[in-house]
Amino acid sequence: MRGLRRGLDALYAAAAALAALCLCGILGVTLAQVAARWAGVPFPGATQYAGYLMAAASFLAFAHALNREAHIRVGLLITALGRHARWAELWCLAVASTAAIYLAWHALRTVYWSRRLGDVSQGQDMTPLWLAQAPVALGAVILAVAFVDNLATRLLTGDDNIAAGDAAGGE
Amino acid sequence: MEPFTAIAIFLAALVVLLGSGVWIGLALLGVAWIGMELFTGRPTGDAMMTVIWRQASSWSLTALPMFIWMGEILYRTRLSEDMFKGLAPWLARLPGGLIHTNIAGCTVFAAVSGSSAATLTTVGRMTIPELRRRNYPERMVIGTLAGAATLGLMIPPSLTLIVYGVTINESITRLFIAGIVPGLVLAALFMGYVVMVAKLAPGFAPTPEPVLPLAEKLRRSRFLAPILSLVAVVIGSMYLGIATATEAAAIGVTGALALAGLQGTLGWRSFSASLMGATRTSAMIALILAGAAFLSLAMGFTGLPRALAEAIAVWDLSRFELLMVLLVFYIVLGCFLDGISVVVLTIAVVEPMIRAAGIDIVWFGIFIVVVVEMAQITPPIGFNLFVLQGMTGHDIGYVARAALPMFAIMFAMVLILIAFPELATWLPDRMREAR
Repeated sequence: MRGLRRGLDALYAAAAALAALCLCGILGVTLAQVAARWAGVPFPGATQYAGYLMAAASFLAFAHALNREAHIRVGLLITALGRHARWAELWCLAVASTAAIYLAWHALRTVYWSRRLGDVSQGQDMTPLWLAQAPVALGAVILAVAFVDNLATRLLTGDDNIAAGDAAGGE
Repeated sequence: MEPFTAIAIFLAALVVLLGSGVWIGLALLGVAWIGMELFTGRPTGDAMMTVIWRQASSWSLTALPMFIWMGEILYRTRLSEDMFKGLAPWLARLPGGLIHTNIAGCTVFAAVSGSSAATLTTVGRMTIPELRRRNYPERMVIGTLAGAATLGLMIPPSLTLIVYGVTINESITRLFIAGIVPGLVLAALFMGYVVMVAKLAPGFAPTPEPVLPLAEKLRRSRFLAPILSLVAVVIGSMYLGIATATEAAAIGVTGALALAGLQGTLGWRSFSASLMGATRTSAMIALILAGAAFLSLAMGFTGLPRALAEAIAVWDLSRFELLMVLLVFYIVLGCFLDGISVVVLTIAVVEPMIRAAGIDIVWFGIFIVVVVEMAQITPPIGFNLFVLQGMTGHDIGYVARAALPMFAIMFAMVLILIAFPELATWLPDRMREAR
């Protein structure tokens, strides 16, 4: 059990690290675009690359953000229920797990069909779409795993893995 | 099924899923799925992935993590101390004294940060202890801070305006430039209120500040130079059409890193903390946006937006009446949801109404930001109130009462914005836009 826990936590952390690298990638691509414009050198597809990195950064960080309590929700009912919040928490985790599995399944299907049909980006970059969409599917799968993980943990131990992050985040 | 029943099920699902505490992005996804199953025969999953992929990989969205990151870096520097030291000498002699540092500090920090919570913590961390030490009335300290922090979302960059722009496909730079003048007017209204209270309230007797010669004032304001030049570069490059929003943000991140490096506050730990913080916050918003993109699609199929736009046309509301209805609607909604969720949740329904009424869509972006921010300083769910509660140890009722005059000032701001729409539209019409 403990090995599984460590393995899953390492998975979320690794995905988050990749997501952070994608953010650095957006910074790099955008600065290169600025530099290229000043130098008068064309940089075709820069906006597409930044977009793919954006999608990858978002999806890969979903699970990590969940366990650090960054994803927001309406807390009125849970707070009002106090000690009896257990069932509401289970309901939320069950609904979210279902939605996340649905998302992950269709994200995987999208990658599969983009690959099968050989879809290529319509921008100047001509990137094979499955390559750009793969991180999204990976992130969606990891998010689904994280929700099921939290649901199972709560059923077994009465608590989940969601711990408060820093207060500076949010809106 | 009768269309009415179907719409009732759809709306009930929305209320139940959001209200029971399901994470907002996934709740929207679930509701959208129900809507698609009820109203169309299209393959739901494929339609979902098409809109989510288009939304998640859109280039204009990349401005979001960059601006968040810039704010995260500056939050971890000595900026709040420096701003207080630089601003205090100039404001000390005004009626109301150093209370003005709350407002001026928020105005300056708002120009490098897109979030009102970050603005609040960065400025308040320094001003709250300093003002308390000088015997300023606690209610004024807390109230003005709660109000002025909302400038974080008015003055560019603004996360809410990025989300609004991405959702309705409007240029983010135009929205940003539109927010400048209304933001400064609102700051001036807050300062005017402070002057009034300082003159009229009997209990207002803080410890006076020593008089400084001009040379000393100038010497102390050297602390302001780095941050003000960063503001000038980021906003100036957008206004002059040298850079798009994302490019300006990337330059801003570089500038913020350089600033932190020169200060010696940029270690590996603070760098990675700022990067991970930005990663999480932008993922949080991206999940809501993904759910909302799918919901907007489903919403279109329900026919709800068109029906409402037609109903509004039949009622023959004047522009002012429509805006007042929306004001109340948004403030009520803002009592339960955060600003970004409110915007993405409603815009599919509200946009056709606004366009039908002939209201400028950029102007409406500024309107919605002020209104949503009013909701953020009212209980039960006011994000700024929670942050202030954590920082000062007062209960939420006290903080909300302290912020009440600011709520009234912001309402006045809404009326001013309606009376003089040029405040928001004049500047963007005169800018050059980078493509």
